[in-house]
Amino acid sequence: MPALLEVTDLTKVFGGLRANDGISFTVGAGEILGLIGPNGAGKTTLFHCITGFHRPERGTVRFDGRDITGLPPHRIARMGMARTFQTYVAGGDLTVLETAMVGCFSRTASPSRARIRAREILGFLGLADLADLPIRDLPVAGQKRVALATALGTEPKLLLLDEVAAGLNPGEIGELMDAIRHVHEERGVTLIVIEHVMELVMNLSDRVLVLDSGRVIAQGLPQEVAHDPAVIRAYLGEKYAARYLEEASP
Amino acid sequence: MEALRAAFDFSDFRPTERWVSRAVAAFLLVFPLLPVSSFATATMIQFLMFSLYGMGWNTIGGYGGQVDLGKAQYVGIGAYTTAVALIRWDVPFWVSMPVGMGFAVLWSFAIGYPLFRLRGHYFAIATIAASLVLKDLFEVWDFVGAARGLEIPAHRFATPDFVRLIFKEDVYYYYVLLAFFFGGVLYMNAFRKSRLGYQLRLIKDNEDMARSLGINVHWAKVKTYAIATAFVSMVGSFHACYIKNIEPEDTMSLDLSILIALMAMLGGAGSLWGPIIGAGILIPLKSYFKEWFGARAGLVGMDLILYALIIMVVSAVEPRGIWGLVERHRARRESA
Repeated sequence: MPALLEVTDLTKVFGGLRANDGISFTVGAGEILGLIGPNGAGKTTLFHCITGFHRPERGTVRFDGRDITGLPPHRIARMGMARTFQTYVAGGDLTVLETAMVGCFSRTASPSRARIRAREILGFLGLADLADLPIRDLPVAGQKRVALATALGTEPKLLLLDEVAAGLNPGEIGELMDAIRHVHEERGVTLIVIEHVMELVMNLSDRVLVLDSGRVIAQGLPQEVAHDPAVIRAYLGEKYAARYLEEASP
Repeated sequence: MEALRAAFDFSDFRPTERWVSRAVAAFLLVFPLLPVSSFATATMIQFLMFSLYGMGWNTIGGYGGQVDLGKAQYVGIGAYTTAVALIRWDVPFWVSMPVGMGFAVLWSFAIGYPLFRLRGHYFAIATIAASLVLKDLFEVWDFVGAARGLEIPAHRFATPDFVRLIFKEDVYYYYVLLAFFFGGVLYMNAFRKSRLGYQLRLIKDNEDMARSLGINVHWAKVKTYAIATAFVSMVGSFHACYIKNIEPEDTMSLDLSILIALMAMLGGAGSLWGPIIGAGILIPLKSYFKEWFGARAGLVGMDLILYALIIMVVSAVEPRGIWGLVERHRARRESA
């Protein structure tokens, strides 16, 4: 599988904090990579570095065969990389349809064509009924799905999702999971998914990358990673991890 | 082609809005035929001018959310280009107006490119400063008459002169400007539904998201600023021919910049009707206030107090202006 994204030795420092510390990994075309780790592990910082919102102190990001390190976000986006944000709080007066249209405008200048494409994507994600509502009237979970629809409008090769399932109930998580799978299969989009909802990330991902304190502490198949002592320690802390591992071993 | 169709397509407005706007358009067309005073006609010309200023401001200030308090410098560039070209080389208005728009747009790139690195209040303050600097330069620049300004020698031309836009009767100015006004409304109607229009509204709402969708936010702002500038400069050129006597103090003053921003902010920033509503309220108020109070010593400056009050009330009660109030009322009625 050819690597679509190749991150090498990526380091981002805020003051004395190494938010990302020598992170290296690759994502193959057509893959779904789960990105997990406790709060403050540096997952969102990593997204910011890859998509150009942060400039890393060290390391390179190669996308689709080109070095994109330090390019501005809009240039990276135009190469076919889209993302959603952890927090999307809308205050403006754009409707759901209009927001989705802005995504489609990255591929066409024609408003009527953008409108048709946007309706199609909203239908695809089960948002057709909400098309004419102002986006600010939606609950956060709904806004995140609109953000997903908008990102899809740019027809990305690689899509980075930052906690799209946060705040959803189990039924909604199931729907969202189907939608993401659909996006992946029908449109051939490669995905990197930051998620705290383990059900989603463990079911969807081909591979999982685990960060803790800015470093990669494990990567592999979901079930491998879930039983990795280092991962369990990162999530539970030294003391509880020891107890848990003792109980788990026969 | 699609943009042209969009300009004439008002179908997304409600029937009441369409009927009211048709009635207003009809009223504007027949207004000079009514038995009205020359003072009323002059007020209507001011109303049309400020509607157009406000429409220009509304692109960057309303849809784009970038509060620009330096539009007067571009009024000045338009007015001075037309006046200087007419006085020195006898250049027709219809040539000097687009040339002036070209100068203004070039200047807007020089100003806008660095200024849009700033955000929020800092941007607003910087636009004021840039405009005042240009005004000071014009006040010492002899080629354009320095602080004394310029006077177009209207008596030299046989009126009505449609080429130089020199008339004796206001009614000619009125209809020329009305054509600009309708053109402006159509342009804005297409603009709000264009790619740039939608992109700007997202930029206003969430700049990071706009960036992540491949929008060059800085360039989008600079482009829109140039559009706003072209509008304002066009009306500035008209202003020169209409007033015939221009000086930096009245074409490029801070008062004018604030008044331009106020039209759209009072009426409803980011809506098509906003600047027209704002100008429709503020301009008659301004004219008649000047008429009533101006003559009485001690009451000069009442109009400035009024503007200040309006700014405070708008920002406290409904930042989206009068049109925002209308929409809020509608939403309440529909949900009830």
